[in-house]
Amino acid sequence: MTVRPPRIVTPAAGLVFATACAALAALPIALELSGYAHNLLTLSFIMIAGALGWNWIGGFVGQVSFGHAAMFGVGGFVAGRLMLSMQLPAPLCWLGGALAAGCFALGGHPMLRLRGPYFSIATIGVGEASRLVFTYWERFTGGSSGLSLPIDADLKYQLYWWALGLAASVAAVSYAIRRSSLGLKLLAIKADVDAAADVGISATYYQDLIFALSGAVVGLAGGLYASYFSFIEPSDMFGFDRSITFVLMAVIGGVGTSLGPLLGAVVFVLVRTYLLASYPDLYLGLYGLLLILIILFEPLGLTGLALRVLGWVRRARAPARGPAP
Amino acid sequence: MTALLETRRLTRRFGGLCALDGVDLALREREILGVIGPNGAGKTTLFSLIAGSLAPSSGDILLDGRPVTRLPAHRCVRAGIVRTHQIVRPFGNLTVFENLMVASHARSGAAGHARERAAELLDFVGLGERAAHYPGSLTLAGRKRLELARALATGPRVVLLDEVVAGVNPTEAIAFTALIRRVRDERGVAVIMTEHVMPAVMSLSDRVMVLDHGKRIAEGTPQQVVDDPLVVSAYLGTAATEVRT
Amino acid sequence: MSRVVDMVFSAVLLAGLYATMAYGLGLIYGVLRVVNLAHGGVIMAGAYLAWYLHERLGLDPYLAIPVVMAAGFAFGVALYQGLVRRLPRGVAGGPASLLLLFGVWLVLRNAAYLLFTGNDQAILTAYSSRSVSVLGSHVSVNRLAVLGIAVVIALVLHAVLRRTQVGRAIRAVAQNADSCTLVGIDVNRIYTLTFGLGTALASAAGVLLATVFSFNPTSGSSELLKSFVVVVLGGLGSVSGMAIAALIVAVAEVFAILILPAYLTTAVGFLLLVLVLVLRPGGLFGHRVLS
Repeated sequence: MTVRPPRIVTPAAGLVFATACAALAALPIALELSGYAHNLLTLSFIMIAGALGWNWIGGFVGQVSFGHAAMFGVGGFVAGRLMLSMQLPAPLCWLGGALAAGCFALGGHPMLRLRGPYFSIATIGVGEASRLVFTYWERFTGGSSGLSLPIDADLKYQLYWWALGLAASVAAVSYAIRRSSLGLKLLAIKADVDAAADVGISATYYQDLIFALSGAVVGLAGGLYASYFSFIEPSDMFGFDRSITFVLMAVIGGVGTSLGPLLGAVVFVLVRTYLLASYPDLYLGLYGLLLILIILFEPLGLTGLALRVLGWVRRARAPARGPAP
Repeated sequence: MTALLETRRLTRRFGGLCALDGVDLALREREILGVIGPNGAGKTTLFSLIAGSLAPSSGDILLDGRPVTRLPAHRCVRAGIVRTHQIVRPFGNLTVFENLMVASHARSGAAGHARERAAELLDFVGLGERAAHYPGSLTLAGRKRLELARALATGPRVVLLDEVVAGVNPTEAIAFTALIRRVRDERGVAVIMTEHVMPAVMSLSDRVMVLDHGKRIAEGTPQQVVDDPLVVSAYLGTAATEVRT
Repeated sequence: MSRVVDMVFSAVLLAGLYATMAYGLGLIYGVLRVVNLAHGGVIMAGAYLAWYLHERLGLDPYLAIPVVMAAGFAFGVALYQGLVRRLPRGVAGGPASLLLLFGVWLVLRNAAYLLFTGNDQAILTAYSSRSVSVLGSHVSVNRLAVLGIAVVIALVLHAVLRRTQVGRAIRAVAQNADSCTLVGIDVNRIYTLTFGLGTALASAAGVLLATVFSFNPTSGSSELLKSFVVVVLGGLGSVSGMAIAALIVAVAEVFAILILPAYLTTAVGFLLLVLVLVLRPGGLFGHRVLS
């Protein structure tokens, strides 16, 4: 029996991706977007990157982290500090932040030996401990006053394309991982970590790797976020609420799917912007309800919903393609 | 002829219980070694120790004369020792083919070779039709075939079969027996198998080792072992009757 | 020397609170194998309920405990029947149950915020500021009451688990739920009861908490973490084990002030947690089952 190898990136997918990126890149100029829309999209791109990055460890490997704000904060503040103290160009600062966040994540190695709920609760612990430590490390983070960054209007405008680039890269990498042998190994670890070891997969190595990458990506998002707002403070960057948002975006979009969190991030940003305007006091509760409903009825979130609809459509068309009697 | 795989005074204690006590084992190339014994004799413990899922309390394990005693499971696989599980553990979220692919990749990085090996093994165990199916949709026999194929996909020199034949119907059992023989003959992989299904063990094994309460109480050809009074008394006579029929 | 005695007392009093917090989490995890991520939220809700009863009806918080526990029990039963029960069992249920209960926590947080605003609260009774002299140390009346109630709860829980029919059924289900159906135990009913009992205990802990510390809607994560440390250290479902573990945690926290700056003492709980999980996931006492 011959088995044709599926390409990691099919020509069709590649085409769709390239077109989408080109369209988005041209958007601000072609449509003369308002400042508001321009910024909203920028923020969406940053969040897309963060959500997809979280999904690598939370979805592909199935180790749900409630503490990713720690990496987000480290990335943001390291980038901010580099900007303030060394006046490096923004992209270098962001990369520095990403590197720092990745190393921080590597420090989480002992946690990764834990399974399921133990790991998740440990991440809550680390997240909260980080918040406390960094809040009081005033020389680094500015304490409760936070850091103000020198961001000129040009950079803020160009942030759109930097963020788009980041989101596109992370999306491409997500897609590639899922379809590659690395993705298979991660899924195997998720299914049965001991059986994975029994077929030669070092869970420690791969979990460390993917956690560090996840941390680096989220740290990168943190750096761009810092530039976006030009002001960051520890209680927001390292806060539990921040960690929650990563989980939410991934779950809404479809935790474990290759691109679901992308959808989730977009929905999240839109809903949050709308909610903050109309019902600022309800958003936590609504997110809670959303989580409950999704877990109970459509665990794969929006992606699951979309697949279901596609299934209905196919079945509705089926009679026309039935076998001749 | 030096042994391919050897254990020396292999011991494993769990608190006060001694699950395996000073077991010596020698497996030669292209040999099928059967390990039998009553329940609780230590067979699965022995497998776990050799395959690296458990660390021994004392003793050594040698592959080709090199110590592999404390290698963790995934390193044992890279060294060439792989096991199957008594209760099959397929990766439920991967298709049959992906199950083989993931094991195949662990051995060789080259995607092309991994794919070829996986496809070839799929045919070897007769699961070609089910490549794109998920393990959940297979029968128990199918899942056992998958388990075997997946283990072989890692390109081992020694495969430990933990009650592979148990629980399938007699027709399947015969097919499995033939398959195991082919593993040794066609693929040159040495096999250690543990079974309760006596006819399978006795007809397949070149040599048999008997464990009882963690100790090796007999070793030899199947016929020698069956005639050994110690073995008979360990099994309270039932196994011996089974084999003679 | 008297400083050390003070600190030891502090630790013992704190231990009572931590133990009470932990029982609920340990019970649910030991029997259902589900980590109740809403645990911190229930503690917070219990605190608010007692505070509310005190504010509106002048009900003494310690007397309110039965009421709050009843409410907590009802909540737990509803939560289990309405939501948790619908989760698929097995590995797939793992992250799903975490996320589901996390969602419940968020809802509880928001509800508290809407009903009571985000300000810190505490229950101040007529005797809150009084203290009593014990062995030369001044101990606040509230803390003594908390310890006393914690001891009572521990004894009652232990007795219920060991000597009552229901208790034995709970322990049996924790050991092997499948076999229990074979001997006629209604496993689902036991799960429901256990979940309710778990949340009842958590709400009681919330009341105790409210009488000695201030709280607000975001409270709960540090309580969840400390409860988890106690459960893991003390061994799932072992009442005496958890009590001792609670003492260890409390002692560590109190004596940490000697070496750590003030703000980090809250982090001690978190650090202990990571340490314990990494070094000894089986708990100090190694029990995997209710005893």
